[in-house]
Amino acid sequence: MLAVPQALRRGVRAQGKPIRLGGTLPLTGPFADTGVWVERGYRYWAERTNRQGGLLGRPVEVTILDDASSVDRAVSLLERLITVDRVDLVLGGYPGTAAAAQMALVERYRKVYVSMGGHMASFRRGFRYSFGGPPLMGQWWYEGAWRWLANIPRGQRPTRAAAITVNNPVGMAARESFQEGLKRLDIPLVMDELYDLPLASAEPLVSRARALGADMFLANGFFPDGVLAVRAMKVLDYNPKVVLQAVGSLIPEWVTQLGPDGDYIVSGTAIHHKLPFPGIAELNQVARERWNLKWAPQYFLFGYAWAQLLQQAVEGAKTLSHAVLVRYMREATFRTIAGELRFDERGLPAPYEYATQVINGEVELIWPPGRRSAQPVYPKPPWRR
Amino acid sequence: MLVQAVQALATGLLTGTVYALLGAGFSLIWGVAHVINIAHPALAVGAAYAAYALAMRGVDPLVSLAVVVPLFFVLGVVLYEGVVRPAARRSGDLVLVSMVLTFGLAAALENALAAVWGPGPRVINVAYTGQAVRLGLLALPVPHLAGAGLAAVTIAALYLFLHETLPGKAVRAVWQNREGAALCGVNLRQVTGLTYGLAVASAGVAGVALALIYSFSPASHLTWLVFVFLVVIVGGVGSLVGAMVAGVLVGALTHLTTLVLPFAWTPFLLFASLGLLLLWRPTGLLRR
Repeated sequence: MLAVPQALRRGVRAQGKPIRLGGTLPLTGPFADTGVWVERGYRYWAERTNRQGGLLGRPVEVTILDDASSVDRAVSLLERLITVDRVDLVLGGYPGTAAAAQMALVERYRKVYVSMGGHMASFRRGFRYSFGGPPLMGQWWYEGAWRWLANIPRGQRPTRAAAITVNNPVGMAARESFQEGLKRLDIPLVMDELYDLPLASAEPLVSRARALGADMFLANGFFPDGVLAVRAMKVLDYNPKVVLQAVGSLIPEWVTQLGPDGDYIVSGTAIHHKLPFPGIAELNQVARERWNLKWAPQYFLFGYAWAQLLQQAVEGAKTLSHAVLVRYMREATFRTIAGELRFDERGLPAPYEYATQVINGEVELIWPPGRRSAQPVYPKPPWRR
Repeated sequence: MLVQAVQALATGLLTGTVYALLGAGFSLIWGVAHVINIAHPALAVGAAYAAYALAMRGVDPLVSLAVVVPLFFVLGVVLYEGVVRPAARRSGDLVLVSMVLTFGLAAALENALAAVWGPGPRVINVAYTGQAVRLGLLALPVPHLAGAGLAAVTIAALYLFLHETLPGKAVRAVWQNREGAALCGVNLRQVTGLTYGLAVASAGVAGVALALIYSFSPASHLTWLVFVFLVVIVGGVGSLVGAMVAGVLVGALTHLTTLVLPFAWTPFLLFASLGLLLLWRPTGLLRR
C-alpha cells in the first residue's frame, strides 16, 4: 500500500481551489521517448491523488509544457509557469541537462524542486531547494555492477575493459563511475573513447575493443547508440564476458524492439519494477492495463516517485510554503516507491546500488543479493544467430 | 591494424553510400526548385515507419519498397502541388519561405508520427539483422550491404533517368536555367512536380535503407538532417555524383580517423575538412 493521504483516511473528497503543479518535459524531440513516461508518472500520481482525497484536502491540477527537448525552452517555460501562471508547486524536468538548468532557476525563485538532477555536478552547486528524489546519478550508475563483479572469483572476472562514452554530461558522469569502479576491481581500461551524437557507426570502436582483447565492454550512451554498439558486437562476433550499458537499456524499447540481441546487458538503476516497496505492484498493474506492458517502465516510476515525494513533503509539513517545505525535506524521512529516502545537505539520498541485467527479455535485478529477481548470467553467452 | 583499417573503410563506404542517397533527393529539389526542403529527412523517417509497419506483418523492408516508392512519389507531387507551389506563387523570397514552410512540415510530420506510433524508438529486426558476410577476417554487415545496395541502385537509376531520358533532360534543363528551359517549351510545373516526386521517392528508399542500419523515432529526422547537409554541402548542390562522392568520403573519413586518433576528434576533423573544402571549392566538390 502507498502512504494513504489523510483526506482519504477520513473519507473526504478533495474540494476547494485546486493546488496547481507545473513543469516542463520533452514531449517531442530526441528525449520524448523517456519524457512521455515521466509525464505519465506525474499524471497518474495526480489522478490517484485526486481519487484519494487530494493534497491537503484540495484537488491537484498538473500542467506539463512541452520543452521540445530544448534546455533553453525548459528554463523559459518553467519561469513562465512560476512567474505568470504562478503554480503552487514545481515538477522536476528531464533529462539531466534540463534539470540542472532548472535547478538554478528554482533556486532564484525559491521553489522546491524534486527531480533526477543533473548528475553530481548539479548537486555540488550548493542549491538549497533541489532534491534528487531519487536522482539519476551517473556517478552511482554502475555501483551495483561493481559490487556484483567484486563478488565473482578473481580468476573468473574480466581482465581488460573497453569503454565508449557519449560526450555529454550523462556520459561524463557515468565515466566517473566506471573509471573509479574499474580501478577498485583492478581491471585495466584499455580503451576509453568518447563520441559525439549522433553516432554514425559503432563498428570502428567495437572493432578496436575486440582487437585490444577487452573482455568487458561498456557502452555508456542512449538507445540509438546502444543499438549500434550491440549490433556491431554481433556483426563482428565480439563476445566479451560482460557488457554494461548506461541509459539506453532502461527504456521498454530495449527489450520490446531489440529482442534477444538486447539480452544479458548489465546496467544500474535507482528504481525498479521488481523492488518490494509499497506502490510498485499497483504501478505495474497500471502499466499492464493502460499500455499493455508487462511492467511499469522506469521513467514512469521516476515521475511518480518525484511527485510522491513532493506530496509527502506537503502533507508532512502541512503547507505549500516553500521555505517551510525545504526545511521539512532536509529533516524528514520519506517512504516512496524508490524506498526510504533521507536527504543530505546537497539534497541527495544515500547512493543506490542496484544492478540490472536483461535476461530472456526481462530487466531483472541482479544486485544486491537480497533484492535479486533473477540469478545473473555470467559470462555473457555468445550472440544468437 | 590492417584488418581494422579495411573493416573501417568498408563499413564507412557502405554507411556513406546510404547518406549519399538521403542527400541526393534533397540536393535535387534544392537544385531544380531552389527549395531547401527541411522536411526531406522527416519524409525518410515516415518511410522507415512504413517499412516498420509492413515488417511487423512479415513483409521484408526491401519488398516494402514496392509500396513505399510509388506512395512517396505521389506524396512528393502532392507536396509540391498542395504546399510548395501555392507558397512559391505568393512569395518573393522562395528560399526563406520554403525553409520555414518545410520546417513546419517536418515538425508536423514528427508530431503525427509520434501521435500514431508514440515517441519511443523503433528497430527493424529481420532475418539478416546482425548478420555479416565474412571475407576472411573482414565482416560486412548484411543490413549495411542491403542499404548501400539500395542506395547505389537508386542513385544510378536517378542518374540514368536524368541523363538518358527526355523528362530527365527537361529536369536538368530547369536545373541549369529555369527561364531558358521555359522558353524552349519545358513545362516548369510538370518538371518541378516530377522532381519532387523523384526526390521524395528517393527519401523513401533512403528511409528504408537507414532503418535497416539505425533505430529511429519521430525525432530522428533532426539527426538525419545533419547527414543530409553534410553530404549536399560537400558534394555540391544539385549534383548526384557529388552527393555519392561526398557520402562515401564522409563515411570513410569518420571511420578511418578512429584508427589513428581518438574517436572524439572525428566531428572536429570532419567539420574542419568541410571548412577547408569550402575554402577551396565554395560550391562543393561537384556543383552543377
